[in-house]
Amino acid sequence: MRMSNKTNTKQAASVRTPASVRNWRTALEKWKDFLFAFPALALLAVFLYYPLGNSFYISFTNWNMTRPDKKFVGIDNYTYLLGHEDFYQSLKITFTYTIMDVVLTLVIGLLLALMFNVSSRLYAFMRGIIFMPYYISMVIAAMVFIWIYNGKYGLLNRVVSLFGLDPVEWLINSQTVLPALVVVSVWKGVGFAMILFIAGLRSIPSDYYEAAAIDGANRWMLFRYITLPLLSPMTLFLVITTFISSMQVFQSIDIMTNGGPLQSTNAIVYWIYTMAFSQFRTGRASALIMIFFVIILLLTALQWLISRKKVHYEG
Amino acid sequence: MNKKKLATTMMAGALAVVVTACGGQATNGGANGTGGNSEPVDVEPAKVVEDTSPVTIQYWHSHAEAQMEGLNYMLEEFSKKYPHITVEAVFQGGYDDLHKKLQAAVAAKDVPAVTNVEVSSLPTFGESGVFADLTPWILRDQTPLDDFSEGMINSYAFNGKQYGFPLIVSTSVFVYNKTLLDELNVQPPQTWSEIDAFNEAVTLKENGQTTRYAFSVPGWDAWYFDPWMINGGGQILTDDQSASAVETPESMRYIENFYKWKTDGHMHIGYGKGASNTMRQMFLDGEIAMVQHTSANIKMYRENADFEIGVSFIPGDVTRISNIGGAGIAMMEGASELEKEAAWKFIEFMTSAEHNIKWAEAVGYLPTRKSAIESEEGKQYFERWPQYRAVLEHFDDVTPRLQHIAYPEFRSHYIEVMGELALNNVDPATLMPQAAEKINEVLADYE
Repeated sequence: MRMSNKTNTKQAASVRTPASVRNWRTALEKWKDFLFAFPALALLAVFLYYPLGNSFYISFTNWNMTRPDKKFVGIDNYTYLLGHEDFYQSLKITFTYTIMDVVLTLVIGLLLALMFNVSSRLYAFMRGIIFMPYYISMVIAAMVFIWIYNGKYGLLNRVVSLFGLDPVEWLINSQTVLPALVVVSVWKGVGFAMILFIAGLRSIPSDYYEAAAIDGANRWMLFRYITLPLLSPMTLFLVITTFISSMQVFQSIDIMTNGGPLQSTNAIVYWIYTMAFSQFRTGRASALIMIFFVIILLLTALQWLISRKKVHYEG
Repeated sequence: MNKKKLATTMMAGALAVVVTACGGQATNGGANGTGGNSEPVDVEPAKVVEDTSPVTIQYWHSHAEAQMEGLNYMLEEFSKKYPHITVEAVFQGGYDDLHKKLQAAVAAKDVPAVTNVEVSSLPTFGESGVFADLTPWILRDQTPLDDFSEGMINSYAFNGKQYGFPLIVSTSVFVYNKTLLDELNVQPPQTWSEIDAFNEAVTLKENGQTTRYAFSVPGWDAWYFDPWMINGGGQILTDDQSASAVETPESMRYIENFYKWKTDGHMHIGYGKGASNTMRQMFLDGEIAMVQHTSANIKMYRENADFEIGVSFIPGDVTRISNIGGAGIAMMEGASELEKEAAWKFIEFMTSAEHNIKWAEAVGYLPTRKSAIESEEGKQYFERWPQYRAVLEHFDDVTPRLQHIAYPEFRSHYIEVMGELALNNVDPATLMPQAAEKINEVLADYE
């Protein structure tokens, strides 16, 4: 009886709820998801979307950041860059660096993963050693490598001389400077790639290997037809993240070469930086940012599209 | 208007002519480096301010750790003289970093009152209206600009406006191994015509390979070799600053000599990242007998060399000058009126003759005031630091760098020619015309 009274009271209350409150609740329900996401979106809007939009606007001006007025110059900045050989030279440097960095980081990372995918304390310790450069700041690594590469007093030339070879000015020679920068990046990034590949390897069920072995597959065939395809999601992830970070190489160039010698390491992001802050051409630098943004976006989309056919997701 | 005010105004008016004649000269980096086309500007003196209400100003600087003791001393002395002004000194990194932060501060409309500025960037900031013209305060307080070295004070003026004062001033000089040169009984060359004989006497070769270079000139920064171009009778831009002049026969004389001296194994040219450290170490190890370097490093060389150090002004030919380097002190246009008054007092104090020697010795840079050098304190300073005499004797031959807003951008093109010479021994005659074309392209882009 008491229960029935309670139910009646509830029903009565719901009947009495005014329409405005009900509407408000419906609206709240409808916008709830957005409200939860709002703080994060607000941060993104302030620190990402607004600067992006503003850069797009500045790219059509001749602003130098210190001048109060911004003169609208139309697409002049874009036509200047796209018609200038320095742009293509810088793009070539960036792509050369990126291809070397991505290939070496992934290949060496995978080899290390295959070598060190053993559960023992000794191997865990060795994995830790290989991973260590990843958490050293690039600034510190670059400072150390400047001395290692020093043509006259550097450690590397000491090693080279043990083999009877002539010393090389690693960072002052146009032929060696880009590979020298790639080595620093690979040294730093290879441990991370190894750890992710090991995680990928451990997620492959052993049943596949056992079944294939019973069917007579050798080690190479196991690797080629089971390991590689089932590692492809991890490989795709590493290709995209390494690709984007390599395309944006900056710190090592800023510290180790300043874009030199003779502009041979003047990669796009470093060029944007010098254009904006040393040559005071903020408008043109913003145009370069936009062009570069589109290039990376298109290439990442292309990688993703190609990979849709090639990446195998287990299960 | 009372009589005192009338007299002050008249005096200020007369002084305005002196100020605009001393400062505000655009230079083309040519032999007549201090020549220019400044127009006298009508400027009213600033009003006398007797407000002593407390004010705090920020001073953005690039003073490295070694200079902080000197800076702290100056700040203490300043607060004794002006107890109502508090100066917050904020280290903003090297000149490049400082300039970037200034750009951001201007864009954000939140600027410090006083800042350092590297001398070659002054025109860009001045032209953009970032710095305040100090002329009204100079007129009001009758600051004696002619007491500064002419080249030094002119370096901080642009288009008829005095945007700053020289603060930490350097110039490039030849630092030489005096012990070695005394042993060889040779003197550092004072003119280009003496260089060949110097090279023959000092260079050491074994099996055709140079084991000791006679001298080294840095190729990584045009600040070091621009004076050679000028001393050879050349200039960076034409007189009207409308086109490149680096490819003219006069402007090429120095680099053709460099090519010859380098090919013959007498001359070392440093280039690329770390080249400064390498050149310094080679000198200290006795592999180079004489290096052209900033006078700010004289102290470092004296402290680190295990031989006696000598300093010589760079040799001349048609002229004999060296360019000013280092940084000045400037007031930000965006500061409030109250801050500007405090900023002016701080700028005047930091560059005053009274503290000039003490400041120069503490930071390892050059004195800037003639009266300070001629004072008893100045004489004692040169007794302690005889190496600076070479600069003192050429006090007015330290001239401004090229003043052009596009200079920070286009100089990279002829620096690259020097780089090709330094790294690949490429004949500059084949590359300089291309560099000139690129310079002209940049100049056209600025019009």
